[in-house]
Amino acid sequence: MKNNPYRLLGLGLVIAGALFVPVAYFIISSIPLTAVDLSSIIIGFTSIALSSARSQVSPEASQMILETGMENIAALLEELGVSNKAVYLPSSMRTGSAQALIPLSGDIDVSRIKAKIPRRLIVRYGDDPNDMAIAVTAPGSTSFSKLEMKSVPTPPEIEQAISYVLTGLLDLASSVEVRMSEGQLSIEIIGPRLHYENVWYYRCMGSPIASIAASIASDAIAKPIRIKEESFNKGKSTILLEVLG
Amino acid sequence: MRIYNRYLLLMVFTTCLVNVVLAFMGQKDITVYFIANFLITLLLTVLFISFSPRTRRVLSSISFVLFAGFVVVAVLKILEVIKQ
Repeated sequence: MKNNPYRLLGLGLVIAGALFVPVAYFIISSIPLTAVDLSSIIIGFTSIALSSARSQVSPEASQMILETGMENIAALLEELGVSNKAVYLPSSMRTGSAQALIPLSGDIDVSRIKAKIPRRLIVRYGDDPNDMAIAVTAPGSTSFSKLEMKSVPTPPEIEQAISYVLTGLLDLASSVEVRMSEGQLSIEIIGPRLHYENVWYYRCMGSPIASIAASIASDAIAKPIRIKEESFNKGKSTILLEVLG
Repeated sequence: MRIYNRYLLLMVFTTCLVNVVLAFMGQKDITVYFIANFLITLLLTVLFISFSPRTRRVLSSISFVLFAGFVVVAVLKILEVIKQ
């Protein structure tokens, strides 16, 4: 915490401003210079305030923990030979935090999901013995557990919710744009800090940013969602989500 | 660019701009500069809606202190008017 750059910047600005206010006001007798020093004090205090709001866990440590979690799930998926795309479930179809279902064979027919999916690793979602899937917690899902959303949100409201989590809470992107068409949601993430990689885990679950976006969108429209496509071009990540059911 | 950096840079840019404009207009009252800076801080905090609740809380405390300063300035001005 002591080496927090915002804190150092804030202290520097406050001390410099406090020293120069009397000099500018009483000695130089310049009101504009005094105003600049006042601004410096205000910005300094704001910077100190931001330093205390910043997470105490460093971004490097957070990334390491995220990668470890992903590697564990990737190892499990590879070991079981599961390469099907995950389906992100809304809160009405699951218990607890946001879940993604990865079918053990074939694709998931969401109409077969009759009851809430229990909080277990291997779950049965339908009546057929082959309706088995691995249920994993979507990355970053704990951050948006208290997100409030209307029952039928509009694309700007979904955009605001995704933007709030990705930009404000997790600082994983610069901004978000959402477009809704029939059965599909197109999400553009501008300035994403994590990119898509063509590895086993990402092929099943999507990138962590896409997972978060899919979980929020699924909760918002109260329907299961699958990540159909993901691409990265010129500092912009485009995620195409398929609405199921 | 991270959201905190963007917020701080925008704050630096707008306060500098307002101070320069007021100085060019020949403003000699320090309270006018203070009120302008206070309004900028308040406006930017409101505009950055995607800040986390914790961040909003600490920034609100800054705005509250600045608002207290604004109230003091307003009271002093009112007393000045009453005395006249």
